Amino acid sequence: MTETRTNYAKRLECEQLAAAVSWPCSFESRRHAGRSSNLSRQLRLIASKEFNDRFRSGWVLACVLVWLGAIGLTSFLGLLQIGRIGAQGYERTVISLLNLVQYLVPLLGLLLGHDLMVNEVEERTLRLILAGGLSRARFLMGKFLGGCLTLTVPLLLGFTVAGTAVGLTTRDSSVAPFIRLAVSGLALGIVFLGLGLMVSTFSRTRIQALVFALLTWCLAIFVFDLVGLALLVSTKSPTAAHEIELICDATHVNVAADVHSEFDITTNAKPRTIEPTSNSSFWLMLNPVDLFRAANLETQLGFNVSLWTSLLVTSLWLVVTLGAGLWKLKQTDL
Amino acid sequence: MNPYLQIRQLTKKYGGTVALQEVSLAVERGQILGVLGPNGAGKSTLFGCVLGFTRPTKGEILLEGHPLTDEERTSFGYTAERVALYPQRTVLENAAFFGALKGLPITEAERQLARVGLQSASALKVRQLSKGMLQRLGLAIALCGQPQLLILDEPFNGLDPALLDTLQSILREEQERGATLLISTHTMSALEPLATHVAVLLRGRLAAFDTIDSLQAEFGQSDSLEQVYRQIALQDPPMEEVFA
Repeated sequence: MTETRTNYAKRLECEQLAAAVSWPCSFESRRHAGRSSNLSRQLRLIASKEFNDRFRSGWVLACVLVWLGAIGLTSFLGLLQIGRIGAQGYERTVISLLNLVQYLVPLLGLLLGHDLMVNEVEERTLRLILAGGLSRARFLMGKFLGGCLTLTVPLLLGFTVAGTAVGLTTRDSSVAPFIRLAVSGLALGIVFLGLGLMVSTFSRTRIQALVFALLTWCLAIFVFDLVGLALLVSTKSPTAAHEIELICDATHVNVAADVHSEFDITTNAKPRTIEPTSNSSFWLMLNPVDLFRAANLETQLGFNVSLWTSLLVTSLWLVVTLGAGLWKLKQTDL
Repeated sequence: MNPYLQIRQLTKKYGGTVALQEVSLAVERGQILGVLGPNGAGKSTLFGCVLGFTRPTKGEILLEGHPLTDEERTSFGYTAERVALYPQRTVLENAAFFGALKGLPITEAERQLARVGLQSASALKVRQLSKGMLQRLGLAIALCGQPQLLILDEPFNGLDPALLDTLQSILREEQERGATLLISTHTMSALEPLATHVAVLLRGRLAAFDTIDSLQAEFGQSDSLEQVYRQIALQDPPMEEVFA
């Protein structure tokens, strides 16, 4: 009987799922297969399944559209309040996009990560996966890599397409700030994906995980800065005041980075720089959102966040969140 | 020579509740061990410990004399009492995925689906399957890759007579191939023609473990497995006496 096109497509996907590698069928011959090849195959399987599931559910496409729309609209309508319509150059697009990215990307990461583990536990599919010889560490890593892929594809697609459109329209060749925004935004999303995954391993139900994920988002985006300001007010420490002014206070950051001020005829507001102190890195390590903000406002703040600091902080956050997630997963009886 | 699977002094506690208490048993290759006991006796916990999704509080599980590792579980097959798969994916996709985790090609998944009579349903979504079809799919996934140890948790529940015959003949074929089977069930009539050994768990403790013939001889006048089980269960004091 002739195979229908749909069945053929499904079959093809299954064959890809089965890693397109000819593996010996009997256990006796399989047991000699290398550990590392098993590791990469299992990670690839879990990650690709996660991505395929999200792709089918429309998540990936929705994210691509959101990013294209957000970047395009921000760039083309970003100066609407001063009566201008049209594409802005990369630097202005970056400043306009900064708030959107710092709010939306962590939320995407957390929403993506919050049900990665708890879903498998609630649906009881994790039992069958573990019974098949997959270790908990490999499963967690596979899920994390799948989440990274699901986050990376729409973000990079959105940034690439919209960035190209901005460049072609404005003939702006100084693309470095835009690339830095895309890469640091992606890193920010991955850190929050790790946080979401940790939340997922610590939660008993999907609803609980969603609540914790949203609380984490509020904590990182709003509460951290407010608590910092409260500390400043209560202690009146000049050093703390300086640190918080530098990193946390959104109003001052916006003044420092106010690219629209040159069009503002009512005030003489000028972008200003704030001298950093040695404690700045400590504050940046506490909240990846602040690190992201500081890394993208280097010129405006006159504050240099080194690549090594960024890599170190990102790695530390991932090690802590994934480590805590693995510890909890290993303690969990299914 | 070491037995194929050896469980030593296995204890599992959930807080103050003892689910398994110092259970020790050994199974040789090719044996079929029926694990019997009332609900909550610890059968699924015992299987969970062997399969790695329940952490023992104490004791050890040895495979051919050495501690069981995750890697070695790729040679195991398992069906749960309530088969849980990915409902939005098709029968073939589910079988292919779980087979691929063990390093098996898609042809192996297709072969096992045909064996349990699900070949024509391979394009159906799992959420569209009846309970019987779902159980068959669970069995097909467990059979992928010629497992050395098959662990079946209540596999006979809710099966119609024709399906029961099919399942029994498949399990016999697996035993003849050399696989070791652990089967928990309340349907003793279905287990009796298959099992070589029986373990009875009562409140987490191993109340009996031997061949069916030896147990029948020990509990005289018992000519069926069900009667043997009832005799053993009678030895266990009722719950009220334990807590008195």
